[in-house]
Amino acid sequence: MSNFPILAVMALFMGAFINSLTGRRSRRVGNIVVFIAMAIALCLMLALIPPVFIEGQVITYWMGGWAPEAGWAYGIGLEVDALSLFFGLIVTIAVMVSGVYSFTYMAKDDSQVNFYTLFLMLSGSVLGLVLSGDLFNIFVMVEIMTFSAVALTAFRNDYEGALEGAFKYLVVGSIGSMCILVGTALIYANLHTLNMAQMAAMLPTQHNTVLVLAFGFLFVGFATKAFLFPFQPLAADAHAVAPASISLMISGVLTKCGVYGIIRLCYGLFQNIDTAAVQYLVTGFGCVTMFVCVTMAFNQHNFKRLLAFHSISQVGYVITAVGLGSALGVSAGLFHAVNHTLFKGLLFLVAGAVQHETGSLDLDGLGGLSKKMPRTCLLFLVGAASISGLPPFNGFASKWMIYQACFAKAGESGNFFYVLVCVVALITSVLTLASFVKVAQSVFYGQLPARYNDVHDCPAAMRAPIWVLAALCALLGVFPGFITRFFLKPATGAALDATAYADQMLGGSHAASAADFQLLGNWSPLVWVVLLLVVCCAVTIVAVSAKKGMAPVLEPAPLAPTDREDVCVAPENAKYEPFFSGEESEYSQVGGSDLFWGFKENWRKYFSFWHRWHSGIVNDYALYGVVALAAVLLYCLLFV
Amino acid sequence: MMSFNYFVAFFFIVLGLYCMVTRHNLFKVVIGMSIVDYGANLLIVTVGATNGGTAPVYTGAEIVAGTVFVDPIPMALTLTSIVISACITAMALALVIKMYQHYGTLDTRKIRRLNG
Repeated sequence: MSNFPILAVMALFMGAFINSLTGRRSRRVGNIVVFIAMAIALCLMLALIPPVFIEGQVITYWMGGWAPEAGWAYGIGLEVDALSLFFGLIVTIAVMVSGVYSFTYMAKDDSQVNFYTLFLMLSGSVLGLVLSGDLFNIFVMVEIMTFSAVALTAFRNDYEGALEGAFKYLVVGSIGSMCILVGTALIYANLHTLNMAQMAAMLPTQHNTVLVLAFGFLFVGFATKAFLFPFQPLAADAHAVAPASISLMISGVLTKCGVYGIIRLCYGLFQNIDTAAVQYLVTGFGCVTMFVCVTMAFNQHNFKRLLAFHSISQVGYVITAVGLGSALGVSAGLFHAVNHTLFKGLLFLVAGAVQHETGSLDLDGLGGLSKKMPRTCLLFLVGAASISGLPPFNGFASKWMIYQACFAKAGESGNFFYVLVCVVALITSVLTLASFVKVAQSVFYGQLPARYNDVHDCPAAMRAPIWVLAALCALLGVFPGFITRFFLKPATGAALDATAYADQMLGGSHAASAADFQLLGNWSPLVWVVLLLVVCCAVTIVAVSAKKGMAPVLEPAPLAPTDREDVCVAPENAKYEPFFSGEESEYSQVGGSDLFWGFKENWRKYFSFWHRWHSGIVNDYALYGVVALAAVLLYCLLFV
Repeated sequence: MMSFNYFVAFFFIVLGLYCMVTRHNLFKVVIGMSIVDYGANLLIVTVGATNGGTAPVYTGAEIVAGTVFVDPIPMALTLTSIVISACITAMALALVIKMYQHYGTLDTRKIRRLNG
């Protein structure tokens, strides 16, 4: 049992090498090797559920048998408590889904053997990161992760912007890696250990300037890996150009490493989340991230770039909840983390399916695909409802918990800041919904361009992984009590009880203390399912019994200038007049991007500011990173 | 002596970051990344160093009273870190070459098709 974690990590790394050896001759053999490697990792993680989640053990493994002596850890250890295993499960499930999807999605690309080698290295490094108990090991895993993620981003290097996105990710990501390395060195200078359990035992009793600096460096390092606020342009560039299955990995798995790092750092190592200064820092970062990114998503015209901004916005929710420092906040954050992987992965895979079939991701050029790809459209709607927090899907359940956590925190502390956080979280959710209405209108509804007349649904082998994600989205939404009881409570307990982690690791007494939290109001998912069914029935009845001529069907825009005079008539519907007044003879169709025209017009200064801010120049992005680092270090020195 | 090392280490880190922020040539950005890594490596070595310490290799002859070893762990960390930064530099240079072929320029201000 104790060697399961290292076997899971090694299965993925060995899979990468064996795939390199065998996959060159035959892709089929290579695919089987990749599948077996992923399945072994997933099964080993699942096998750890009973001892860790139900019996509350901490699984430890010492590399080379270098067990601690006299309470001092010399060797490199792997430590799997409920928090690590929670993220390990997220990682292995996402890897499995992404890998199976790639088999069909990447089938037409060349040098696939390199793709899967890098893919398995990425998976292995991420799994190693969340299971590791050694801070320097975490740095090495972060570097392998960044390296393979950059290579995979640029994998289709003839794709417009792929090299550029990968280079920016590498340069600005290296600032984050440097921060983690420097933070590790500073901690080592004070404590002479790299073992995290040892640190958890020693750090809370020590407080000096160097350790505060180390906290600042490590926080910025993990924030880079989670793509928090000043680093979000990287995520947008990398997601938009990477293959869809890699977008899933970047959004669903790599950002989770940053989230895991921040939780481990604030709750496990330094245990300073109780102080108001750290709460302001973490919650503030999360809050700004979620609002800025959701508004940036409004302006996007590329399907995957838009999804990328939403992805970071949802990570902002997770960080906001984690920064509250309460048991309810942590469990809400963890719940949203797993939900984020599910619905975001679903949406990226849907975008990949659209790209696979139409060859385009341009929101202004697509349209009306619901007629040609009805099953993909249905899956998209599930994902859109989840991310917007509509009941009965999982996004609602976790966002509800986050609102409650903010609300409870505001009530307890009487601090206006947390009231503001609660309001921003609600507004962000509304803006997310609005943005997905725009995407649905642009891609799946509206007019079907003539060039997509012979488009058909994507292959079933690509849809199957998406169905798995959609089913999980619905299940977690309808039965949130199940995951709360068996997964969130142990993981929250592990996050909050760092002394137990240290004791177990170093052979001390194990003091078990379960996290206890109460939800403010109870909500019954079944009622919401009934409501959804009623609304669906009502819509169906209206749609079926609708008379012709309820709404004028707009003609497509004319292409040839010669017959312009005949076709160009202003729509007789007066409801568009406030938005499209002007030349009366000019024909204008309401496209997906125009849906929130008035809102964008009123906020145009805000939007154009952020548009200029995301300049696309790598020096600017590096500057934002350096400024954020300097600001966090200064804040930590002054207040923490 | 040691405090001078710390000063130089952080000076290198700041210098490398300054280079990454202000230089518009892709190669110079990569050089900036390397300088940052050198600073970090020097920091780690300095953390483990002791004044007058010898190499931590047991041959039997060194074990006399008054001998001080330097801490071996930071050296192992530095070696790992140097290998990693060499890989990252190689990767970055490969990307720069491909970008030069694709865009025909090394100016970062002109390589900004992904923006907004």
